[in-house]
Amino acid sequence: MSERNRLRSLLTLVWLNGLVPIRDQPLYILNLLASPLSFLFFIAIVSRGALIAYGITGGMILTMLSVGTGLQSDLTHYRIDLKFQDTVVASPVEAPVYVGGMALSEFVYSFPGLAVFVFLFVLARFANLYTLAVLAGVLVLVWAFASALAFTLATYFRDVRETFLFSPLISLALTVLPPVYYPISALPSWAQFAAKFSPTTYAASLVQGAVGLAPLSELGAAIDWGVLVGFTAVLFLIAALKARWKEP
Amino acid sequence: MPFAIEAQHLRKVYPNSPPGSAAIDDLSLEIPTGRIYGLIGRNGAGKTTFVRIASTQLEPTSGTVTVLGHNVQGEEREIRPRIACVPQESRPLYFLNVEEVVYLYLKLRGLDSRDARRRTRDVLEELSLTEYRKRSVSRLSGGLRRRAMCAMVLASDAEVLFLDEPTTGLDPIARREVWEALRRASREQRTIVLTTHYLDEAEALSTRLALVERGRVMLEGTPADLRARVLYPYRVVIQGSFPREELESLGRVSPIEGGYLIFAREDEAREIARRALERGIRVSLGPVSLEDIFLDVVGRAIDTDTASNDAEVEAEA
Repeated sequence: MSERNRLRSLLTLVWLNGLVPIRDQPLYILNLLASPLSFLFFIAIVSRGALIAYGITGGMILTMLSVGTGLQSDLTHYRIDLKFQDTVVASPVEAPVYVGGMALSEFVYSFPGLAVFVFLFVLARFANLYTLAVLAGVLVLVWAFASALAFTLATYFRDVRETFLFSPLISLALTVLPPVYYPISALPSWAQFAAKFSPTTYAASLVQGAVGLAPLSELGAAIDWGVLVGFTAVLFLIAALKARWKEP
Repeated sequence: MPFAIEAQHLRKVYPNSPPGSAAIDDLSLEIPTGRIYGLIGRNGAGKTTFVRIASTQLEPTSGTVTVLGHNVQGEEREIRPRIACVPQESRPLYFLNVEEVVYLYLKLRGLDSRDARRRTRDVLEELSLTEYRKRSVSRLSGGLRRRAMCAMVLASDAEVLFLDEPTTGLDPIARREVWEALRRASREQRTIVLTTHYLDEAEALSTRLALVERGRVMLEGTPADLRARVLYPYRVVIQGSFPREELESLGRVSPIEGGYLIFAREDEAREIARRALERGIRVSLGPVSLEDIFLDVVGRAIDTDTASNDAEVEAEA
């Protein structure tokens, strides 16, 4: 398949799974807003506004992670119920193009959510060239590793109902337990150690550090970037080696 | 290339299936280029497993399959641009309309917009789907959804089409339209691998057929070859009272409502017909149907499931 055809396939998937469903059911665009805004609302109320900045930065990370859980559900549904993946496998479309296109299509859903949070980000006076660049880099990496994880898991599920089991667990492991919505210093030391195993800890640390919510040295930022990129690379490697495109 | 697909000693045992339960067991086939090849067999016989292996969706356990001269193991990149598949029980994405199902599939395969639009228009016309082109898949009957899936692969540029029970749920008129489209595709030198439960469909469409049972090819050849290979190539139906013992000396007799169905060789069939006419009993004589052959070879009707081949039934589920 030529590069031009790959790009055509990828954009077709974005159209097919991202834009057409929204045309069919506009309520989809509110779907990804629900969880991050609920958290923000909850945190703002409970902390009496003190942690609202964490709610905003955490909300963006959760929105990107939700792209991954949405992708996981869609890929599983398409593979098992509709046999769409089988149809695609027996065609010129390669696995990376399929996953890339599907992941980008889920990204489309996240636009309204991101727009709300970017608006709040600007309102909180966090926005400048540096913080926006850090935010963009972090969100792209979160989107990338969440998509790789989603694809790998989706190829193993035997029924769509298994995604209902795994999605909340993934959200719990990657957004609620790690310090995405609060400073890491709020955790006891053993929990701070455990949080180091979650890539979202580094994502949140980078964003919180960039906007001045938590102190972050240049060396600390470099380590966070390194670990986040490393996590993403490992999840891509796992997807490349373990995800099932052709069934065993 | 005389054969589009060649399978040699193919075997497939699904992971975690009970020991000894192979979905495909030493299956060898040669599917000629530019023909419609029918795979017939009961549920769980191994048809879908074969299609999934040949269309590069599933790894075989052992043996080889080549498609258009390329091995399905290791040369998938050479095969995939040249094939298209309608998997068993596949459905189009529910939020698309019929036109989008075809058009977006063609775009996905890398066709440019103009070519994709032209092919979409033509295939919708050919399969009488034009009036439904803007209708959402979620509002279509099962038969129309299946027809849209067929339209999708027929409109493609693929040289080999795999259609796994493509006409399930279609009404007789729609089935005939799909048949005609398949024949036309075959005339364009495209190879079509068709699995079906409908023996009339297999017989009407296929240049060659393989009767698959428990993962093995039991009979293979043209419909005429298959008839020639069965013990009793003729069927005689007698409607009226006739001594059964007399019939049993001439062929295999099964009672039916109001008479007997007898499978016999040509001379014996003529003899039965002659004796029936002498007695003034209504009689009909003709070559055995594919259904009769299936029953003769397998010992069961095609619409019964294979209990022992759980591996494929499970995989298909």
